[in-house]
Amino acid sequence: MKQREGSKYEIEMELDKISSLPGHIIDQILSQLPIKDAVRTSVLSSKWRYRWAKIPHLVFDNKCVSVPSEDQTFGKNKLTHIIDHVLLLHNGPIQKFKLSHRDLIGICDVDRWILYLSRSTIREFVLEIWKGQRYKLPSCLFSFENLIHLELFNCLLKPPSTFKGFRSLKSLDLQHITLAPDAFENLISSCPLLEKLTLMNFDGFTHLKIDAPNLQFFDIGGVFEYISFESTFQLSLVSVGLYANKNARNVSLEAIKWHSFFTDLPHVRRLEIQCFFLKYLADGGAPRMLPKPCLDLNYLSLRINFNDREENSAALCILRSSPNLLELELLVRSEEQNAVEELTYGWVQDHWKCHLEHLRLVKIVGISGVRYELDFIRFMLLSSPALERMTIKPASSDGGWDLMKELLRFRRASVQAEIVYMDP
Amino acid sequence: MSEADMAVIKPEMMKSYIWLQTADGLIQQVEQEVAMFCPMICQEVIQKGVGSSKNYAISLPQRVNPAMLSLILDYCRFHQVPGRSNKERKSFDEKFIRMDTKRLCELTSAADSLQLKPLVDLTSRALARIIEGKTPEEIREIFHLPDDLTEEEKLEPLKNTTDDPRIRLLNRLYAKKRKELKEREKLKNAGIGEEHVDDRSVDDLLSFINGDSKMTKASKNKKKNRRRKGQEKNAFLTESMETDKMETNGLNSVGLDVEHGIDCQASPSESSKLQDMEEDILARKVEFDDGDMDDEIDPALKEKIDREVEDFARILKIDWPERMQEILSLGQERRPVHSSLNGSSSLRK
Repeated sequence: MKQREGSKYEIEMELDKISSLPGHIIDQILSQLPIKDAVRTSVLSSKWRYRWAKIPHLVFDNKCVSVPSEDQTFGKNKLTHIIDHVLLLHNGPIQKFKLSHRDLIGICDVDRWILYLSRSTIREFVLEIWKGQRYKLPSCLFSFENLIHLELFNCLLKPPSTFKGFRSLKSLDLQHITLAPDAFENLISSCPLLEKLTLMNFDGFTHLKIDAPNLQFFDIGGVFEYISFESTFQLSLVSVGLYANKNARNVSLEAIKWHSFFTDLPHVRRLEIQCFFLKYLADGGAPRMLPKPCLDLNYLSLRINFNDREENSAALCILRSSPNLLELELLVRSEEQNAVEELTYGWVQDHWKCHLEHLRLVKIVGISGVRYELDFIRFMLLSSPALERMTIKPASSDGGWDLMKELLRFRRASVQAEIVYMDP
Repeated sequence: MSEADMAVIKPEMMKSYIWLQTADGLIQQVEQEVAMFCPMICQEVIQKGVGSSKNYAISLPQRVNPAMLSLILDYCRFHQVPGRSNKERKSFDEKFIRMDTKRLCELTSAADSLQLKPLVDLTSRALARIIEGKTPEEIREIFHLPDDLTEEEKLEPLKNTTDDPRIRLLNRLYAKKRKELKEREKLKNAGIGEEHVDDRSVDDLLSFINGDSKMTKASKNKKKNRRRKGQEKNAFLTESMETDKMETNGLNSVGLDVEHGIDCQASPSESSKLQDMEEDILARKVEFDDGDMDDEIDPALKEKIDREVEDFARILKIDWPERMQEILSLGQERRPVHSSLNGSSSLRK
């Protein structure tokens, strides 16, 4: 480095390393600051005066403004004021916009901001309306052409008839939303690049037809009557939770058949069947084995009620059809213990033909030491020659001793299996 | 970077090295797997086939000087080993970025020119953490930024950014005072009278600045205070004292002694005033706009503060009213809120 006979100014310039960093790095640094600190950098020096206005990420959340809870209007107004100011002074493309503040209740200012954003090339949009009614999104939201990630909480979507879909959308996260049935189907099928879909607590539609050829991750939790997948051959992570105890016998003939659910997911790697979905699947009986085995299935998590014979059969069906299973998790659904059909001891022998050659880890949570549960555990231990660890966590400490005594007796197919008993 | 690629480049050698040349001409050799961790070096080797010998060393971009290169190579050497757990990597990263900000900036720049994104992310995150929550003065000091915005420009109504201009003025007066004290220490004589004057003014100054710095730093401390409403006032006081100490590292023993003096004999009036302010701040919890805090301090306190400002402006022999008028006239053209400095508060919401 050449020595300069610099003036004090030049020495300062030498010392000031941060202002001369490349633009995208300063963007990165400023984007990692809360919006308040980022904007405050405008008073640091002349170089920094308008630097913040170029940051591509704008996040307005609870850290922005905090007000005592009695004065929500004040907080709301202040937040509105801040966002207006920032958007007005901002100069440059906005790539990510997140708005998630507790006091933001159904205000129409959001419409205005979405309109503003629709004029920029925004890629990620997150809107969370914490309280109040579903917020009706303006139609200009559906003209975000470059959108890659969309996340909405507590919103009502009504795409205009001219809506052609989000051409670049890869990730969609909708929670507590309302959407008309055909609108939902259109939405999914018109986003050809969709890879990740999360749906939680939705209403307005109950029949789900997921037509997304590039979908890799699917997480759903809500109340629905029908679910089917079309051309989702890349889907590898699936989590399905049916929140309501639907009596499937009342459902029309469109009710999903066993094989179609799994046939449509040939390459599923991780599968979680939560809440009442197993019951839903099991209703009406389960085949002994699936028509095609799930060769890629490595991880399975089931929420099961062991007292229900149909659910037991369903679980066994899946297990028999997953030869490459590595990890299994069974969560007991605690319903009232209806005295369902008596399962005889013969049950275990019957279903004994199952080899889970690669199963290494098993976790069973919430058992109460009922006969059927113990049978299942015994069956697991006998079917898994490669088992390394089985973790058992009872629902309560009643009958803990008896449970343990039984567990001790069980024979194990795997020499190195350990049974870990965890306190409830 | 497949095995096949590697094999094509160096089929014969057992442990291979890549030759790198920094902008100052220094050439060094580095283990292949370590150097290849940097995408830019990787690209050079594969696409242009350089780096295999001393004569064909890869010229590194200008932003990578030898010191930075050695840091980067340390980073690569650790992270290119595949078997490390996430926890190990994280803890290495934490220790790795502990360096002064100047080197951190240089490292960011160097890592960027080598396209080493993980390191760029790490360093930029560290820089963001340094900036977060600090006042502009602190940031300028840490990063050696020239304070070259005019008073006007700073006062411009980026409402959610600028500090209260009164605070800014005070900080400036404070800086001047600091300089003055330094000078006085240099030609120190046993004039006790003078010292007393000093004591008092610094006393006022520090306690006032404490109050102010609490206002500007309230946002930083806010989170902590909110969690425990009955937070020990002492802890809060000492913290702002300490941060003042940081600011006043130019202050010599005279100043420090006085500070200790304050600690010991925090007069009830002072601490109650500070407590009042603190309570005001906690009660309102207006975090975002420091300027607004101005409006929320109760008028009696405001009068007192105004008087104090006048007092030590006098001491510093600055023509206070004229200066104030200047600022106000500038401010009034833009924002009515500034008129609150005169004692009338106008909350503009």
